[in-house]
Amino acid sequence: MERILTRNIHKDDSQSVSVYEAGGGYQSLRKALKMDPDNIQEEVKRSGLRGRGGAGFPMGVKFSFMPKDGDKPMYLICNADESEPGTFKDRVIIEKDPHLMLEGCLISSFAIRARACFIYIRGEYVHGARVLEKAIQEAYDKGYAGKNILGSGYDCELVLHRGAGAYICGEETSLMTSLEGNRGYPRLKPPFPAQAGLWGRPTTINNVETLANVPFIIDRGADWYLTLGKPPNNTGPKLYCLSGHVKRPGVYEAPMGLPLKELIYDLGGGMLHDDRPLKAVIPGGSSVPVLRAEQCDVDLDYDSLAAIGTMLGSAGVMVMDSSTCMVKAIERITRFYAHESCGQCTPCREGCGWLEKILTRIEAGQGRQEDMGLLENIADNIQGQTICPLGDAAAMPVRSFVQQFRSEFQEHVDSKTCTVAHAQAHD
Amino acid sequence: MPKLTIDGREVEVEAGKTILQAALTLGREIPHYCYHPGLSIAGNCRMCLVEVEKAPKLLIACDTRVQDGMVVNTDNQRVRDARASMMEFFLINHPLDCPICDQAGECRLQEYATEHGRGTSRFVEVKNISEKAVDIGPHVMLDQERCIQCSRCIRFCEEVTGTGELNFFRRGQRTVIGVFPERPLDNGYSGNVVDICPVGALTLKEFRFQTRVWYLDNTPSICAGCARGCNIIVSVGTQRELMGTQGQLDESVKRLVPRFNEEVNGHWMCDEGRLSYQRLYSAPRIERAQHPAGTVVPWADAVSAAASALKSAAGKVAVLLSSRTTSEDMLAWRMLLEKLGGDTIGVRANHRGDDDDLLIRADKGANSRGAAWIFGEGATEDAVLDALLLGRVEALVVVGDPLDPVDTANLEARVREKIANVIHVGPFVAGTAESAAVVLPAAAWSEQDGTMANFEGRIQRVRRCHLPQGEGRPGWRVVRDLAEAAGIEMPPWTSYVEVLDSLAEQVEEYRGLDAESIGLLGAKVGAGTAT
Repeated sequence: MERILTRNIHKDDSQSVSVYEAGGGYQSLRKALKMDPDNIQEEVKRSGLRGRGGAGFPMGVKFSFMPKDGDKPMYLICNADESEPGTFKDRVIIEKDPHLMLEGCLISSFAIRARACFIYIRGEYVHGARVLEKAIQEAYDKGYAGKNILGSGYDCELVLHRGAGAYICGEETSLMTSLEGNRGYPRLKPPFPAQAGLWGRPTTINNVETLANVPFIIDRGADWYLTLGKPPNNTGPKLYCLSGHVKRPGVYEAPMGLPLKELIYDLGGGMLHDDRPLKAVIPGGSSVPVLRAEQCDVDLDYDSLAAIGTMLGSAGVMVMDSSTCMVKAIERITRFYAHESCGQCTPCREGCGWLEKILTRIEAGQGRQEDMGLLENIADNIQGQTICPLGDAAAMPVRSFVQQFRSEFQEHVDSKTCTVAHAQAHD
Repeated sequence: MPKLTIDGREVEVEAGKTILQAALTLGREIPHYCYHPGLSIAGNCRMCLVEVEKAPKLLIACDTRVQDGMVVNTDNQRVRDARASMMEFFLINHPLDCPICDQAGECRLQEYATEHGRGTSRFVEVKNISEKAVDIGPHVMLDQERCIQCSRCIRFCEEVTGTGELNFFRRGQRTVIGVFPERPLDNGYSGNVVDICPVGALTLKEFRFQTRVWYLDNTPSICAGCARGCNIIVSVGTQRELMGTQGQLDESVKRLVPRFNEEVNGHWMCDEGRLSYQRLYSAPRIERAQHPAGTVVPWADAVSAAASALKSAAGKVAVLLSSRTTSEDMLAWRMLLEKLGGDTIGVRANHRGDDDDLLIRADKGANSRGAAWIFGEGATEDAVLDALLLGRVEALVVVGDPLDPVDTANLEARVREKIANVIHVGPFVAGTAESAAVVLPAAAWSEQDGTMANFEGRIQRVRRCHLPQGEGRPGWRVVRDLAEAAGIEMPPWTSYVEVLDSLAEQVEEYRGLDAESIGLLGAKVGAGTAT
């Protein structure tokens, strides 16, 4: 299988502009600058490229929301605030092939006639930020960014901004609020970013991996792109983040629709301990509903996973073996969301903390019979009623853990202890 | 204009209005905490979630603009469930310390919990704790546990005063409101955050622990602190003093809060005005008639002494008034002076500081404009003092300030030497009240009905909120009594409404106005004469 997004990462000095150019880098930008921006948008739309950040929104459609004229400056934002637990794919691109990302940023900026592209990188990616800083300087030096790019008359500034360690700032509107220098709070929608985004200007915001796909679409065309994966709705190459109880965790590239078991047992080398079988998989980062082992004959793409009630999300595949206490696992996940909830709106602020307290209590052996129903009901009361999707992200896993592993919760309640830890202690 | 259906009733509202506003036109209040009509929309409390047909999720009514053909349900089971769950969320970490909370009785948490809550809590965990009784400014105390993070106070300081003292600190369920180190909430309008706080998180130092709100007797009136004339509600205590032996009514003003008047003060008032009632209690009150000052005599004796002094000085009588005197009293004094053949009348100007961009006026004379209408522009304090120095005055009536003892005329010795008789009419033992030949108690600002004209020429009603102390009575009553004792013919006024009728006859700006047409929001000059 041809590696596309990761074709450069194993080269020596892969992050330098010369190595990138030697591999054909920035040719797509040259090609794009000679195209009509609307045709670039059309090509991306036709490719079926969907957002890789988690929501899977078609990128071409997002482009089309931008105003076609008007004298207001417009912006592109590259969302490099990769913070979803279990997700580390953008990091590979940022650290190993930053120019691929920058080329995608510049082509996309041109396609929407953006005056500048802001790259918001999570604060913890210190190395990534240094790599990007250098790459941006190289891009300026080579004339790929700044004024009159490659003699085309098109100007586009690249601006790198480091976050300060808040998960919420990966949400697009709070990212913008944070970028503007304010407390990272999500905004009410409407207005949507394409109407009033960064500093109230029309803005398109895309994930790193999404933007990294764009140079290939321009270079090889939408028709080629449509041959990858499962057209028409699940196309292109995809980076999968494999973590948990497997022998070879890591980032793996495959065309969209990689079978989950192939990822775990072939690419990932199988379960970490041969005597501990697969128990559960979270297929798309900690915020998506969990799958039981028997549900794992599924392809990793948007529609296949949606069909069984979960999501591709950020493709952060977390594998759990039989030694995992599911109550403990969801308690830890929920603590993350309670800690990261920005606190702006009521259901998320109060609900996430409540969920965490209940789960901690059950895990500590003080669960009550009514707690499982209560957890589900609180999740229902959070989901869909918040300003941004963080509330949903906290509610969905809780509901799915309770529903998929109810008997394990029940055992915790009945035996007034963590049954998994108890069993292991007596092995 | 878009036409929509709310709970089966059709309503047509201006484009750009929200569902919440449209529902209000139907008299239907969609419960809300963070929405405030004087502030930007935050959309964070999620209490106003309603069902809009064809929308998959519930939408917040405060931020959803109406569209033609929209069908909204604000009271079906789905919406009621959402509201109940929000109430549950609000209360899980709330301390529920209503018995010691000043907000109790006017608390939106109490109200909505009763109306929309489930009644019992499913929360059995330990509540989050944070700081209580945080001193955040000269007038405001913060209880971080009671706070529901609606951000109204933050938005007020950002959008109305532009001072930005308040903000959120920390994150998630640990979020608290607070001020920055060494930047207290002290912006001249800080009391408003207490009014707009829907819960007991922000309380006014001057009001907290004073009384329970259900003991308050509330009267719509206007502030006399400056020439703006902010519309307010005066709250008077009605609770019997339990510790006292006489079981007397504690009939003092407990607090002032602003009353919405778009054309005068919007939703707000300044801190100085808010606390102006305290000046009513800052000096001893004149409770009994005195002749001379310090010697209490029956009302009739004092009146007849004053009347004979005025009569014997006929033609050489002057009147010096406060610029906070009501128009009714001013007219009464003008008419009396005309009968006595005097023409020396002056109004004490009272200016301090500068006008600000929001509400505060440098002119502290709440009725300066009315004085100019009734007496003309030449009626100044200097005109009276000049007349005194020239020996043209034998009897001087000083009408004391009804709100502020400090602003009551205090004649210099060299001026006082020139006159035989000073008659002081006012509520406070201050200024000439301490040395006058005759002292007559008059009603203070909160004890008398009347009208005042603000700096823009809006005539507004100041209302009697409680009975006058002692023998105090409205200025026009004092004038009527004096006229009667002096045998001077004056209209037989029995209430301020009748004096207002006289004003309407005699003062151009008041033409056509009566108490009803002035109403709660006041009347612009000329409004009454317009056909």
